[in-house]
Amino acid sequence: MTFTDWLPTLMIFLPLLGSLLLLVTPKTFRDEVAGFIAALTLGAGLAIWRGGGSELFRWDWIPPLGITYSVQLGGVSLALALVTAFMSFIAILYAARRIPNPGPMLSLILAMETGLIGIFAAQDLLLFYVFFEDALIPALLMLAIYGKSGRMAALTKFAAYTLFGSLLMLVSIIGVRYIGGSPTFAMTDLKQHLVQGSAQTWLYLGFLAAMAVKLPLWPMHAWLPDFHEQNHDSGIPDVMGTLYKVGGYGLFTFAIPLFPDASLELRPILMGLAAFTALYAAWIAFGQTDWKRLLAYAGLSHMGFVALGVFSLNETAVIGAMYLLAFQNLYTGALFLSVGMLQERIGSLDTRVGGVMTQAGALGGLTMALWFASIAVPGMAGFIGEFSILLGAYQVSPWLAFIAGVTTIGAAAYALTAFQTTFWQARPAGSVAVRDLVHTEWLILALPLAVLVLFGVYSAPALNLMQPAVRAVLTALGGN
Amino acid sequence: MLQPPDVSLTPLLPVLIILAGAVSSTLLGFWVSRRVLTFINLGAVTLSALSLGLLWNGAASAFGGSLQADNAALLLAFVILTGTLMTLLVTLDTAWRARVSFPEFDAMLMYAVTGCLLIAFSGDLIVLLIGLEIMSLSGYVLATLQGSRRAEESGLKYFLLGAAGSAVLIYGIAFVYGATGSLNYAAIAEKTSVLNPENTAILVGGALLMLCGFAFKVALAPFHQWTPDVYGGAPTSVSLFLSTVVKVAAFAGMLRVFSGALENAPGWHSVLAVLIAATLIVGNLAALRQLNFKRMLAYSAVAHTGFLAMALLGTPQAGGAALTYYLLVYTLMTAAALAIVAALQRGEEGMSIPDLRGLYYRHPAYAVALAVCLASLAGLPPFAGFFGKYLVFQAAFQNGYEWLSILAALTSVAALVYYLRPAMLLFMPDRTPAREYGLGQRTPTTLTVALGVVGVTALGLLPNIWYSWVANPAIWTLLVGQ
Repeated sequence: MTFTDWLPTLMIFLPLLGSLLLLVTPKTFRDEVAGFIAALTLGAGLAIWRGGGSELFRWDWIPPLGITYSVQLGGVSLALALVTAFMSFIAILYAARRIPNPGPMLSLILAMETGLIGIFAAQDLLLFYVFFEDALIPALLMLAIYGKSGRMAALTKFAAYTLFGSLLMLVSIIGVRYIGGSPTFAMTDLKQHLVQGSAQTWLYLGFLAAMAVKLPLWPMHAWLPDFHEQNHDSGIPDVMGTLYKVGGYGLFTFAIPLFPDASLELRPILMGLAAFTALYAAWIAFGQTDWKRLLAYAGLSHMGFVALGVFSLNETAVIGAMYLLAFQNLYTGALFLSVGMLQERIGSLDTRVGGVMTQAGALGGLTMALWFASIAVPGMAGFIGEFSILLGAYQVSPWLAFIAGVTTIGAAAYALTAFQTTFWQARPAGSVAVRDLVHTEWLILALPLAVLVLFGVYSAPALNLMQPAVRAVLTALGGN
Repeated sequence: MLQPPDVSLTPLLPVLIILAGAVSSTLLGFWVSRRVLTFINLGAVTLSALSLGLLWNGAASAFGGSLQADNAALLLAFVILTGTLMTLLVTLDTAWRARVSFPEFDAMLMYAVTGCLLIAFSGDLIVLLIGLEIMSLSGYVLATLQGSRRAEESGLKYFLLGAAGSAVLIYGIAFVYGATGSLNYAAIAEKTSVLNPENTAILVGGALLMLCGFAFKVALAPFHQWTPDVYGGAPTSVSLFLSTVVKVAAFAGMLRVFSGALENAPGWHSVLAVLIAATLIVGNLAALRQLNFKRMLAYSAVAHTGFLAMALLGTPQAGGAALTYYLLVYTLMTAAALAIVAALQRGEEGMSIPDLRGLYYRHPAYAVALAVCLASLAGLPPFAGFFGKYLVFQAAFQNGYEWLSILAALTSVAALVYYLRPAMLLFMPDRTPAREYGLGQRTPTTLTVALGVVGVTALGLLPNIWYSWVANPAIWTLLVGQ
């Protein structure tokens, strides 16, 4: 057992340890401890990346039930774990300054980070489920403690949708093992004991229920806008919520290898749903006057793209989907934080404030740059993702690719309209003076932007990381 | 030549220790205070639990197989004793507030536990019935002991419905005896493995009547109507006892009878599946509408009955292990949740759900503990409730009840909503004055709560510390003894 075998486990549980540590840390050092733990986690992730990803680590967790603790961080999972660690660090940086008495929030961010990295690292179906549910609890608590007046309804909706899906997935998980006859829930064993025939389709549908809620895919998306709208103004819970969109990843890592025939069979329907989700969300986003709801629907639209890429089962498209999934977290997360900064200054989340740019040029400029990343302007990471998805999906279904392509125009429309009415136009008479970015706020918006530009211009490191993993997964389809 | 009866006291040891506690409570009550008695009984429970270890793997039996101290009995007895220990600790703090602080309370409680243990140790239907009646009669008294209208009403309701349930059960026992010519589990199992067509109708009738009788005792819909009123009306420490220990014992009896003696009898599986489906729907949907937290926990106990009973649909090997694991977890989390209610309520009717708002800022430890219990009840990992749920889903799924697993999954969504609402309210900031009893936080109750919370967390992270004991299939193939 070498140290590198332990690195993924360390990366998963370090934040949770920090979260518990915060409960006993004196108030004066809390921010520093939280920041240090988050940075350490990111460092562990970078160390794994430098080593070229980790090997599969397996330990029999509950032998009589065939449940193993199998974790591996490599390829797509490593990329997503790195993004999670990075954005958690940014969120902590902002929370420490913005929220008065931030103890519980910092604890929850770290606890959620553990759940999220665990989701990406898990190579055992039941372990995946455990982390999947674990990430839910801090998300709910953030909403409960820091939410707005309508939070109870939002919370119930969020939990009910999520659990509806994941409990059906649990039944599917049990079925995958027993009908297939695998000795354990570890992916390596399950892949050798695939379920055949119509049972595979039924189990896939159970699995899909959970992922469609998380993605979210129309018509399972109704929880999303309320969840974001009712969360704390600062946007920190929203960043964590954005990271929680693991549906695309779950479909990619588990659904394609375990249900290859069913994936091919249902491909046209699911691609259609995904394309529709992308277009529909962009259309709804256009009508929003609340920044958070707008961002929620924009995120939904991006997720439609991700789903289109994954469901198309085409190598280029799947790589694009994973690329978009990783970097969407960066720009949408950073945009939520910029909305939080805007709210702090003008006390409103309305998109028709007007004239902010005249006094807060840096905030406006960085926000605009992040929006460019979001609407897939070339030179930003979002472009590579969306373009690859469209390129790959076109080879499978040109018409659906065309519908999804229209979304990019819609995205430009809703983003620029909202940006224009908030940051440009005339400043209303008698409005308060708006302070520009101060201290760490610069870092909080500029760091994600720098990463986005870096990987938009020089995508090779990320693509090299993802490509072998995607190829390995797609071989399950038998050289499609 | 008269055959001397097969009397052996060693297998009876755990039961006898508890009985000694009960008898000493009855007699010593004239001289010492109830607090002293409770400590004596706590000692008796601990001793009894230790004696279980003594009998482990011994497969001892007495009275010609009428009493079985096999591993199945010992495991179930351990769960019963855990629940009893938690109840006793809670009564140390709350009995005087609930106006049930007199020696008879302890005596009745210990008699009830004696009955519960007898059920777990039963090797034939007569011992089962004796245990069930001791348990039920003591339970009726416990529910009525507090001199209030609500308690009397709930006790009377419990008594009338319970008596009807017992009558149906006895009728069922008679039928089974008529069909097989024996009351012994092993003999019944042997007879039913090769079915005689002319007696099948009587056997099926007997099995179904017994199922109805047990359905009363464990509160399977539509025989559950007494539960919310009794659990809600009785003093909270009694509700705690009834919803954990008594229910565990009734399930122990069901496991013995249905997964053991009547395993091969036809008919009852599908009826039980329908009853479970009804219970899952009724229990979960009714709990959704409750405003009183204690009543909500009562309905949640009904809903959990549905989950627990799913284990009986599995094979005895998978089902027995799943049921015993779930029962321990269920006892820990329900007892801890009700212990917190008992400590913080202002009156015996419990607390309303909106009153829980902001509890975290007044009693942080209790609030976190209650949230953990609720998360575990809802079946969220990493708490043990998740593995309990998973095991029963798996047991039912493996034995061909996929539809029931899916139904259980769907009704769990409702369950999550009603557990979540109070759990989240605990953490919401609140500026109104506190509405709970301020001085309820005391050491023994805290100990109970800690036991429950540490238990569900440890069993959730490392389920094997309990599951490895119950997982051995050999234990459950020999449910009937021999």
